[in-house]
Amino acid sequence: MIEQLIVGFGNALTVTNLLFIAAGITLGIVIGVIPGLGSVTALAVLIPITFYMSPLAAIAFLVGVNKGGTSGGAIPAILLNSPGTPEAAATALDGHPMAKRGEAQRALKFALFSSVTGDTISDVLLIVLVVPFAAIALEFGPLEYTAVLLFAFALLSGISGDSPIKGLIAIAFGVFLSTVGLDPVDGSQRMVFNEVELYDGFPLFSLAVGSLAMASVLGQIFELWRAKGEKRLSVEEYSRIETRLPAREFFGHWKTIGRSALIGSGVGMLPGLGVTLAAFLSYGAARRASKEPQSFGRGNPQGIIATEAANSAVVGANLVPTIALGIPGNIAAALLIGAFIIHGIVPGPFMLTQHGELIYALFASMLMANGVHLMIGRIGIPLWARIARTPRAIILPPVLVMCIVGVYLPTQSIFGVGVMLAFACLGLAFQRLGFPIVCMVIGFLLGGMLENSLRQSLRLHQSDLTAFLGSPIALVFLALTLFVLLRALRRA
Amino acid sequence: MPHHRITLSALVAASAALVPAVAATGIALPAAAAEYPSKPVTLVIPYRAGGSTETMGRIFSKALGKELGAKVIVRTRPGAGGAVGALEVSKKAPDGYTLLFAASVSLLWHPLTRSVGFGLDSFTYIGQITDYQMALIARKDAPFNTLKELVAHAKGKRLNYADQGPMQRAFVDFIGAKEGVKWTGIPTKGGGEMVPFLLGGKVDFAWSGGIHQRFGDKMKVLLSFNSGRLAASPDVPSIQELYGVSMPSQAVIVGPKGMDAAVVAKVESAIKKAVSDKAFLDLLSKKLRFPAKFVGHEALTAQIQEVVAGMKRVIAATRK
Repeated sequence: MIEQLIVGFGNALTVTNLLFIAAGITLGIVIGVIPGLGSVTALAVLIPITFYMSPLAAIAFLVGVNKGGTSGGAIPAILLNSPGTPEAAATALDGHPMAKRGEAQRALKFALFSSVTGDTISDVLLIVLVVPFAAIALEFGPLEYTAVLLFAFALLSGISGDSPIKGLIAIAFGVFLSTVGLDPVDGSQRMVFNEVELYDGFPLFSLAVGSLAMASVLGQIFELWRAKGEKRLSVEEYSRIETRLPAREFFGHWKTIGRSALIGSGVGMLPGLGVTLAAFLSYGAARRASKEPQSFGRGNPQGIIATEAANSAVVGANLVPTIALGIPGNIAAALLIGAFIIHGIVPGPFMLTQHGELIYALFASMLMANGVHLMIGRIGIPLWARIARTPRAIILPPVLVMCIVGVYLPTQSIFGVGVMLAFACLGLAFQRLGFPIVCMVIGFLLGGMLENSLRQSLRLHQSDLTAFLGSPIALVFLALTLFVLLRALRRA
Repeated sequence: MPHHRITLSALVAASAALVPAVAATGIALPAAAAEYPSKPVTLVIPYRAGGSTETMGRIFSKALGKELGAKVIVRTRPGAGGAVGALEVSKKAPDGYTLLFAASVSLLWHPLTRSVGFGLDSFTYIGQITDYQMALIARKDAPFNTLKELVAHAKGKRLNYADQGPMQRAFVDFIGAKEGVKWTGIPTKGGGEMVPFLLGGKVDFAWSGGIHQRFGDKMKVLLSFNSGRLAASPDVPSIQELYGVSMPSQAVIVGPKGMDAAVVAKVESAIKKAVSDKAFLDLLSKKLRFPAKFVGHEALTAQIQEVVAGMKRVIAATRK
């Protein structure tokens, strides 16, 4: 394996390749900054460009886009409290309070360094685990997924806000919203009212950008309006603020970094669970492990580390099922598979034997991309930090426009924009009432998966719930779910 | 300058579209047809960017534009398995400037089972460019090698299979009803979820939209759901041969209903030439693994009618 990797580096370490990686990362970050446009849209838009590149350059470029797009979403989350994608929502929880204290540069550095470290750990795991993995992934069926998702709900109810009950209510409301659309089994209409645009349910990005990004921006605008202008730090105060982040301080959080990277990689290896879940699970884990959990949500850098290390760790690990089984781990990996096929590489069990050289060159490119990512991201930070110092009255209105453009572009649907506006209002209402809106978004995101696996399980076992007893993996997760819920209720 | 000419004729075409009364009398149409295409043509693809149909459509749009002598602009409008984009195109003027590239199933299944705002007669079928490779498949080590053996194996048992939507389930259950066996469809979200279900032993067999071609040595084909046999499995019979029905497997280019015959003929001949375009053929056969297959306006319209008749029988037989 080491030899193959060295050969891979030999093939991948060319100037053209490095340039394509750099271009991919830059484009990914820039697109990721726009609310609503994450790595998925970036990939979809840029894949046609790769038709004209060599297979290796194309795939290296797209891997760069994927990495950049995933970390780019953290920038608006930190600076403006308007996460561009649901996966960056947890970054805003602590990143924005830090930026408000004037520590925007440090927050951005924490985010970038965690992204790159998490990504590197996950890439190494990918390279080591890709071969033995295939057998384990097939063990995970609908029963196991159902149990894992229930466990995730129990964990997530505690992540934001002080009341797990309010968290659970918000999650349940999100699950309810996810049932709108055509029934996944028999295709009958549920709360659709004959509106064709609702057949697939509420569009995820409209819902997420509306309730997370737009609601937050609107809330800030109302605040400015009521306060008749904003209180700004003087130049002297600015000069006293710490902008440096020494490597020693960063790696002092090695426990959080390692834990988050492992959570991200674990979630990434199971097809379908996705980046957002990894980010929130990791945030929750960091908060539980902390000695002062109440400092989370008030600008604790560990919150940023946990989120960004985990969501970037998914990127590499997601390629494990993609390469080992040909099964995409999420939409971004599905798009990558599409790109692989266009370039004549058929993902799946034979990919390593048939295209071994190319795959190891891809692995080498991924490791190199992490270095490039660190450099490009680092150059960008002072530029982004300027945004933090610009008066919010100038920054916020264009962000509103970007939300609308970002939601409209990928599907060109005015209906989607309408849904976003409605959820922006709902998001404001949730803020005022003290319900965590992120819990609703996650409930919505995972609700569809939960229904899918639960109904698959029921049909597979003729509606016999005792089938859960036959799966040790499911039983463990169900027991953990009960444990977490009971503990949370006792504390509350 | 050519720019001026294009703008001028675009204006003429636009004003013709603005006055539907004139267009309806048929006076303005022949002139518009003679000039067609005098402005860019929009090709709506009702699926998410990056998928195989969308990729195919994007490459094809270049070849089509070359043959038509006009720019073809691709617009993706995903949603409801293609119904959102189809609905949008069905409401456009039938002037040939808005076309739809879709799997025929997107235009047929919804209107047959519920009200979606467009009907079976809402489109002019202009041409087919390929066939999806839909099959009934099983693991290589399954104790049956043909559909007949599967049916014999299923007697007295309750087998599970992975479907990818209500239509696929209706067709597989239709076979079950004809053969007097019962099996349960497990809904999976696309080929990516079906593969681990099948290879992981959670289901006994599965419906596949073409992904099985990538797993040549792990899966076997029991039946073709297309009207003909599959390109990669010429020895396996088709559902049309055995049961006289077939699934809509065509990738088609259609326009709104009521298109002028001269415009249809122009687009049809451009599609015919574009299907043999080298770049397109290369992607289609070598990378996406679809066989290029051109069928023109008349033959395609007849074929679709036959498929619809079969689908109606399947729906009637499986409705509970």
